[in-house]
Amino acid sequence: MPASPPAAGRDDGLPKPWGTIIAFLLPALTLYVGFTAYPAIRTLWNSFHRVLPRREEFIGLANYVELARDDIFWRAVRNTIVWACTSPLIEVTVALLLALALYAKVPGARFFRVAWFTPVLMSYVVVGILWLWIYNNDWGPVNVAMRALGLGAWTRPWLGDPATALPSLIFVTSWMWVGFNMVVLLAALHSLPKEVIEAAELDNCGWGGKLVFVILPLVRATLLNLIVLSFIGKMKIFDLVFITTKGNPLWATETVSTYVYKRAFEWTTFDLGYASTVATVWFVIVLATVLTLTWAFRQREKLEY
Amino acid sequence: MAIVRRSLLLIALALYTSFAAGPFVWAAMMSLRTTTEIHRNHFAFPNPAHWDKFSDAWFKSNYAVYFANSVQVVVVAVLILTVVGAMAAHCLARYKFRFNRVIYFILFSTIIFPPQITIISLFQILVQYGLYNSKLGLTLVYVAIQLPLTIYILESFFARIPADLFDAARMDGYSDWEIFWRVALPIALPAVATTVILNFILLWNEFLYAVVLITEEANRTLPLGIQRFLGDTQEDVGMIATGLMIAIIPVIVVYAFFSERLIQGMTAGAVK
Repeated sequence: MPASPPAAGRDDGLPKPWGTIIAFLLPALTLYVGFTAYPAIRTLWNSFHRVLPRREEFIGLANYVELARDDIFWRAVRNTIVWACTSPLIEVTVALLLALALYAKVPGARFFRVAWFTPVLMSYVVVGILWLWIYNNDWGPVNVAMRALGLGAWTRPWLGDPATALPSLIFVTSWMWVGFNMVVLLAALHSLPKEVIEAAELDNCGWGGKLVFVILPLVRATLLNLIVLSFIGKMKIFDLVFITTKGNPLWATETVSTYVYKRAFEWTTFDLGYASTVATVWFVIVLATVLTLTWAFRQREKLEY
Repeated sequence: MAIVRRSLLLIALALYTSFAAGPFVWAAMMSLRTTTEIHRNHFAFPNPAHWDKFSDAWFKSNYAVYFANSVQVVVVAVLILTVVGAMAAHCLARYKFRFNRVIYFILFSTIIFPPQITIISLFQILVQYGLYNSKLGLTLVYVAIQLPLTIYILESFFARIPADLFDAARMDGYSDWEIFWRVALPIALPAVATTVILNFILLWNEFLYAVVLITEEANRTLPLGIQRFLGDTQEDVGMIATGLMIAIIPVIVVYAFFSERLIQGMTAGAVK
């Protein structure tokens, strides 16, 4: 019997062991339908209803109309999108610089790599509490260091000031994820063919030239991949805000995730319908942006080397 | 000149290292000091080191319960995930049938879903079935949220196992289940280890689903316990630091022994 290629996919016309196939897939599909597909559809259904603890009533598009005029929601959307657009760029840029430094064979590269990766292993709860302290107005290291450097006039409660709260939290997520991006980029750099880089060196290409014309195009796919991944992560951000600011001050750090949580479980309206509407609209926005990004970033021409 | 540039580079890297790891060192120092000591000087070494703070947190502040809950929920969820995920991944990689790619694509696309789209209804559903505020309910939800990524990682590995191997096993009289359990799974062990590590870390740190689905003190996982502790004792910095270390230490211990595996596990899926 000729060995068939391992690629799964289209029907090859042979009789199928349907019993076996169903037995293998059933547990996963049951869990998927029960805990992902059904809840997602139910959220959509909820969004057209007022959902109170003991009764539900159909209210058509009323929730959507209210949403369009909900200033807090649009504030949360703006905050989340600012977060999702700035953080990935900071992360990837710093990570690329660090990865290039380690790629240049500095002593202790292995140690640096392992140390920098640490923050991403911690939960947002742990990270959030740590940075609450770091930003503390009276004794946080940030303000202490600034006073020591004679910048006392610039100190402030970083998370309590509407002007600095969101940037301060964006900084925290970047701090957390740089190491992760660095490790992935370093792996991509190490998998580059040595000959190409050596050829560039022979052509008397300086470090800057080598970076822009040789290395960046070669790791382009990885870079874009990391940006999309980080973007998706920031569109979901919840824990960090919930632990540190709860969306305060004055909704300066409200994200869509925290707003959904508050509307569903903290506001005394007890209406799950409106929160479901927010979730549904946000779901559509996230899906649309991610698909657009993936489409825009798709590899137009495959680089051969 | 080259030496100067090199040392400048090293200094910059050392500075970045203290920036990346400093907060943890600081928290570790504070975890061994009392709040009074900390407020006298926030950046001093623990002298003397108050190790008894750890037993205080463990026994008096209920961390033993939180820790046990986290271990129970995460270990059971990871076990179910590994078996159920591997079965599905093996099936999708090995058998050709109608809808194979459709099922794969539906599962895969779930990875980008924002959690809000399911969490409100999951709350309703679990209340309905008496699984709200129970470790079993949270475990099942954890399996469901990590299933797509697990299947995605395992499927790409299973798909690379040559089909000849399965044909040979079949001729030796292996059943479909034995082929999965005794041939495919052992070969895929590195990929399985990757998903185990990834799921363990992500679920150990999970907060959103836990905070929505668990309210009772006796069922709280570690992240919830820490958050509650923070709310109860805003000012007791020293004790909160001890609590943080209890949550961090298992991860650090695993990381110390398996740093490469862990890095590989966490970055799986990011590299194309």
